[in-house]
Amino acid sequence: MTASILDSVEESKYKKVTDLNPQEEIAPGSALCAGCGGLEGMRLAMKVLGEDTLICNAAGCFTLISVYPFTPLKGSWLYTSMSGPVPAAQGARDALDIRMAKHGLDQKENMQVMVVAGDGATYDMGLSPTSAAIHRNLDFIYFCYDNEAYGNTGFQQSGSSPLGSYTMTSPSTLDHPAGSERSKKDLFGIWMAHNPPYLATVSPREPIDLSNKFKKAKDMKGPRLFICLSPCPTGWGFDPKETHLIAKLAVDTGIFPIKEFVNGKVIHTKRPRKRLPVEKYLERQKRFKHLFEPERRDDIIAQIQNNVDTYWEQYDE
Amino acid sequence: MLRIRLHGRGGQGIKTASQILGTAAHLAGFQAQDFPLYGAERRGAPITAYARVSKNIVLERGAIAQPDILLIGDETLLSDPLASVTEGTESSTLIFINSRHPSPDLKKHYQLESLPVQLDISGLCQKYIQKPMILSTALAAVGVRLMGHIGLHHLLKAIRDELGQERLSADQLANNLKLAEEAFQKVPSFDLEFRKFDDGFSASHLVVLERRPPVDSVPVIFATGNMALRKTGNWRTHRPVIHYEECNGCAICYARCPEGDIRMDANEKPVIDYDHCKGCLICATECPKHAIEIIREVASWN
Repeated sequence: MTASILDSVEESKYKKVTDLNPQEEIAPGSALCAGCGGLEGMRLAMKVLGEDTLICNAAGCFTLISVYPFTPLKGSWLYTSMSGPVPAAQGARDALDIRMAKHGLDQKENMQVMVVAGDGATYDMGLSPTSAAIHRNLDFIYFCYDNEAYGNTGFQQSGSSPLGSYTMTSPSTLDHPAGSERSKKDLFGIWMAHNPPYLATVSPREPIDLSNKFKKAKDMKGPRLFICLSPCPTGWGFDPKETHLIAKLAVDTGIFPIKEFVNGKVIHTKRPRKRLPVEKYLERQKRFKHLFEPERRDDIIAQIQNNVDTYWEQYDE
Repeated sequence: MLRIRLHGRGGQGIKTASQILGTAAHLAGFQAQDFPLYGAERRGAPITAYARVSKNIVLERGAIAQPDILLIGDETLLSDPLASVTEGTESSTLIFINSRHPSPDLKKHYQLESLPVQLDISGLCQKYIQKPMILSTALAAVGVRLMGHIGLHHLLKAIRDELGQERLSADQLANNLKLAEEAFQKVPSFDLEFRKFDDGFSASHLVVLERRPPVDSVPVIFATGNMALRKTGNWRTHRPVIHYEECNGCAICYARCPEGDIRMDANEKPVIDYDHCKGCLICATECPKHAIEIIREVASWN
C-alpha cells in the first residue's frame, strides 16, 4: 500500500456512530433470530462495503438471510455447502476477471467477492480450501460470524466452542464436567501463519472499530479475513436484549481480543485497560451455567482465566 | 382420541408445553403423542405443537387439522393470517387464549364461533418465574385442566420430568410447580368426551398435478432487497417506545439494531420501523438516556 492511500484511509476514518453510512445494505425481514449478534456484525460490514459485493455464503445460520423468493441484499448471493464458499469465491473472482479481461465486461461492473460463513464452516469443514485460497492469494474478503457452535442445527460443538461451554454434543456430565474440554482453535493464528495482507477480529459492539477495519480492507487486494464474535441469544442462553452487553464483556474480560494483523504485525485496536474477571462474562450465559450451579467449579473457571491471562502476557507492554 | 393444538412463538416454551401435556397424559394411563412443527425460523417466529391423547394406541400421524382443544399462548398470533391459528376449529372446539381481555371481547374481536376460555397466564408467569413469555408450564397446566381426566399430581410429576432436562435450579423448579398449580386451578375443567378413534379420519387420496413446462420452476427474484416485504413485526412480544423528550439523538440505538430497523430522521432523531422490529429490545437496553420504554404487546387492539 502506498503512502498516499494510507493517508486517505486515515482522513476518512469513522469516528462516531453518526459517521456510519445511513443507507442499510441489508433489508429487514430476514428469519434470523431477534438480537442476532452475527447479523449486526454483517450489517455494519455491509454499510462499508456497499452493494457491489458478491456474497458466497456457506450453509449455516445465515442460510436464512435470503430465503427464496426474497433477498435482503442488493448485490448477488451465492449459496454453497459448508465447505464450499471459498472455492465458490474463487470461481466468482475468476469469472469476473476473465470477463473483464477478455469479454468486455465494464470495470464498473466489477464486484468485491466476500465469503460469509459461520464458525462450523470456517474452523472445521472449510478450513482446508481456505488455507489453499490464502496460499493462492485469492482476492477476496472472508467474514466469519463466530457464535462458537453449529447454531443452525441446534447448537452442536464446533472447533470454535470454548473451554467450559455446554453444547448439545458436549453437555456437562460426571465424566466431563467442563462440557467442551478443549479451548477454541486459534484461527487468527492459523490464518496469520499464511501471512495474508489483512486479518482482523471485530465485535458488533465496536461499530467504529469494525467500520474502520472494513474500510481499510476494502481497498486492499488479496485475502482479507475477519472473525466477528457473534453473541447468540438462542445458543448461548441469554436474553436477546443483552447481545451487546455480552459482546462488551467478551472484550472487557479479555476473552475476545480485538486486533488486526497488517504488515506482519499484530495490533490490539481495543485493548481492555483493566481486564474484568472472566466469570463476569461466563455467569450471564446458560451455556456456562454448570460452572456455577449446583456447585461452583473454581477449577474450570481458573483454567479459563489462566488461558486469558497467558494470552495477554505475550502482549504486555 | 383428543387432539390438542398449541400455538405460540419460538422461545416461548410451546414445544415443552406439548411435551408436558403428553407426559402427563402418559402418566395418567393414556396413550400419548406430542411433537412440534416449525420451519426454518427462530425465536419469535410462529410455531405450532401438537398432542394426541387416547385410550387406545395412537396410529394417527402428522399435523392436527381439526383440534378438540386449541391452546393459544400468544394472542398476537390471532391477528396474523399466516399463522392460521383458528384453522380447522368448529363451534365445539375448546379455545384457550392467553389474554388480559375478557372472554366475550375476545370472541367478538377475533370473530370466534364459541366463547373462548381466557386467563392471563403471562401475568401468572411473571408472578412465579418472572418471565411473562416463558409459557411452557402454565400453558401445559391449562391444557391438562381443560381436557380433564388427568389429575394435578400427574401434571406436577410431568413437569418435574420434562423440566428436569432443562437444567433448572431447585428454586426455579419449585416456582414452576407453584405456577402450574395456580394455572390448573384457575381454569374450569370440561372433562371432554373422547372422540371415537376413527372419527373424522379419512384415507388420503391421490392428487394428480397438471403437467407444466420446466421453465415455470426456474427461480426468479424480481427485485433486490425485497426481503422487506416479509413483515417480522409480529414476532414481537414487547415493544420499544422512544420518549422523544428524553432522546438526545446520539444514534446509539440506530447503530446497535441488528435488523437495521431504526433510522435517523431529518431532525436527527431515531424512528423505529415497527413493521419489522422483532422486539429484541437491544435499543432499550443500550440507550444511554434510558429514553426507550418497554411495553408488553397485548394484541393489535386495546
